[in-house]
Amino acid sequence: MASREALEVFLHSLARKSYYDILRVGRDASPAALKAAFHDFSLLYHPDRYASSDAGAREVATEIYKRGVEAYRCVSRPAMRQRYDKSLARGKLRIESSRPSTVPPPPQMRTLETVARTPRAKQHAVKADRLIAVGKLEDARVQLVSACQCEPENEELAERLKILYEALALEPL
Amino acid sequence: MAFAVGVDLGTTNTVVGAVKNGVVATVTDANGSRLIPSAVSFHPSGSVLVGYGALERRLMDGANTVSSVKRLIGRPWSSPEVQAARSKLPFALKEGPGGSTTVTARNETYALPEISAFVLRQAKAVAEAALGEPVERAVITVPANFNDLQRAATKTAGRLAGLEVLRILNEPTAAALAYGPQGKAQERIAVYDLGGGTFDVTLLDLAGNVFEVLATAGDTALGGDDIDVVVAERMADDVLKKHRFDAREQPLAYGRLRILAEEMKRALSSEIEHTQTVTDLVPAPGGAYTPWTFRMTRPELEWASLGLVERTFQVCQRALDAAGVGQKDLDRIILVGGATRMPMVARKTEQFFGRPPVVRINPDEVVALGAAIQAALLDRTKQRAAEPMQHPTIAEDSVVREMPGEDGPSSSDAFGLPLVGGPSLPAGPHAQALAASAPSPASPAAALTASRRDPPAPAHAPPLAPARVPALAPSPAPAAAPPKTEFLPGRAGSTLVFDVPGLAGAPPASPVQSKRAVPDLPSPSRVAKNPAPPPPAPPARLLASDPPPPPRPAPLLIDVTPLSLGVETVGGYCDILIEANTPVPCDRTRSFTTAAAGQTSVQVRVAQGESKRFDENTFLGEVHLSGVPAGARGEAQIAVTFEIDADGILNVRALDVKTGQATAARIQLVGAQNDAKALEAMQARQAAHPLAAAAPAR
Repeated sequence: MASREALEVFLHSLARKSYYDILRVGRDASPAALKAAFHDFSLLYHPDRYASSDAGAREVATEIYKRGVEAYRCVSRPAMRQRYDKSLARGKLRIESSRPSTVPPPPQMRTLETVARTPRAKQHAVKADRLIAVGKLEDARVQLVSACQCEPENEELAERLKILYEALALEPL
Repeated sequence: MAFAVGVDLGTTNTVVGAVKNGVVATVTDANGSRLIPSAVSFHPSGSVLVGYGALERRLMDGANTVSSVKRLIGRPWSSPEVQAARSKLPFALKEGPGGSTTVTARNETYALPEISAFVLRQAKAVAEAALGEPVERAVITVPANFNDLQRAATKTAGRLAGLEVLRILNEPTAAALAYGPQGKAQERIAVYDLGGGTFDVTLLDLAGNVFEVLATAGDTALGGDDIDVVVAERMADDVLKKHRFDAREQPLAYGRLRILAEEMKRALSSEIEHTQTVTDLVPAPGGAYTPWTFRMTRPELEWASLGLVERTFQVCQRALDAAGVGQKDLDRIILVGGATRMPMVARKTEQFFGRPPVVRINPDEVVALGAAIQAALLDRTKQRAAEPMQHPTIAEDSVVREMPGEDGPSSSDAFGLPLVGGPSLPAGPHAQALAASAPSPASPAAALTASRRDPPAPAHAPPLAPARVPALAPSPAPAAAPPKTEFLPGRAGSTLVFDVPGLAGAPPASPVQSKRAVPDLPSPSRVAKNPAPPPPAPPARLLASDPPPPPRPAPLLIDVTPLSLGVETVGGYCDILIEANTPVPCDRTRSFTTAAAGQTSVQVRVAQGESKRFDENTFLGEVHLSGVPAGARGEAQIAVTFEIDADGILNVRALDVKTGQATAARIQLVGAQNDAKALEAMQARQAAHPLAAAAPAR
């Protein structure tokens, strides 16, 4: 079961995703495909699936799940979906993107840049920081692996890579 | 080890279910009764009687005996329901702090959740005695259409009873969980739940182990009790005509008629006509009584209650419209609630939905059984996390062997599945081994289990035999675990990540083995068409002692909020934030600002309902935002997030948009005494009143 930290990294990455990307469907997905995708999403993130996790992880899973509900409610109704598709074309990811984010700010983790010590590792770490911020976890992983290879003895960096792997596991292919 | 139970806290009766050793069953009290009447009587001694003991005191001490509190819980004093009930109830309702409704009995005043807490304490005590273990956590069910106030009050009742409330669960959803999937990849079902005081209908999609509620609708003031009133009215007319005795003038006599009416209604579910003779109701000169005889036929009862039953189908239509589903799209109609025993209900539901309804599990128990399954799912404390979780087997004595209703031809279809706990037959060792063995009385049932995960098989099936078998069969040699993917046909990959612990250790399925099992298997539909004569009633087996079968993926419920949530806007309109039938948990954020310079607090009025006019919806209360930075009018911007949690209960939190700082937000619910001080006083009152021991002296 994923840790709270990994869930938080994953939750944070959702802020940069369209409703289709959150549900992992194409923009032309049929109603049946949307339903199936929402069921899959629910099996992964519904807070009841975290009944045996600690309260913190369950809380973050709840936040993730609520984003999926928001996405599903919007794209499963034709009129709203049409409106959303238009605003998505203009780059708005949420139906009311003007509103302030309800996502709690991510934990005050040190940036990877400060965790890395050598210049070479820092180079990769800066990129990984930026990629995590925009929700591109897989690309961030590649950078972080490189950073870790530069500093095999840096335990904090290795720990952060572990968290990233967990977060990635939350996002099946 | 402390237990988590499921409690169906009903208007008239409360039932407790529990999962033990992979079998889900309802618990019985010392007298063998599964029903705990939801009645509370305050005895002069200071103790409190709950259940049958309280029912007995209804006639002799009506002023201190409280029943049907579920009709009032979570309703403020000013609500029409409370005002209408005031004159009809033998006990005294009074206005309490914050516009709440309270009950006064033996010079003490109780908030309504306190009354339900007494019922829940009794339920807890009965369960602890039956299970032989402490009960600390519970899933408590409520009508699907309960609003935020009613849910919050019910949750408070649970806490007052000393229970950790794992979930407030919707009754029809619980019933669907108890029935489980029928084996098809996709199935759309309707749960028609006519209880003592409420009616609900819920439409669900079942896909694999996911139960998704599509829509729910209900009437929280329509139930079997209302049919009793209709019958009691006829009785009052009759006794007035025959004996010039006006029972309506005497609350005690009318209360008696209500009880007789319920008996009459029950009798007419199995008889075509019924006659009651009462020798101690109508006073005769000289202190004696004149006997009064009342006869009613089933058609008369049906004619009298037709209007009420028809009302349920208006609600059904509303749910169908909300889900965008037609009657033809439904694969199964499940009947829940004691009032569905009336043959007319089965007949009318068949007429409305165009297919015969299913009553395979006792309609009085099914909600508690479903709640117990959900309780076991959610009670995954560290101690239990290592245990496998699966869909438990329904205890046999909860399985119905007869269709209510007189339509013989349809009853075989109506079963859907044969007599065993179809949704929850123990899979794995028993089934596999039995299916592989030579035909025996056991094999059809076991085969059925296997057939549900395999394509429908040839029809040369052995006839269906009585089927208490799987659980009783000796545990055979280690068998293959079923493939993990079976319950998510076609797209199971993602479930693997979250498969229940315990599967990992099982040996992988051998394809040879499972293939061998297939050819002899009847398909579910084939089985359903050959219903066997019911087996003799087996002894109650609450706690099967055989080893639990290997796990199947745990079911997941996706439930919805029954009512739209909105805030008041300029002009008295209701601005909907969360629409009815949105999956929960969910949230929506809205920004609010100050209306005047220097203002440091903001109030937002919140309601639930479907009307565009705020006042026509159910007013929930006010959200108070305090500590808003003083500034020019409209300068401060507070983003308020309204969350409906998995219990269907509203929570709020607020954020100052400019600073990103949290702002204090508090909901003051109307008619709820939920401040710490009031709760403490309630807890103290619970502690001061011990429950009277089981059966009181007669």
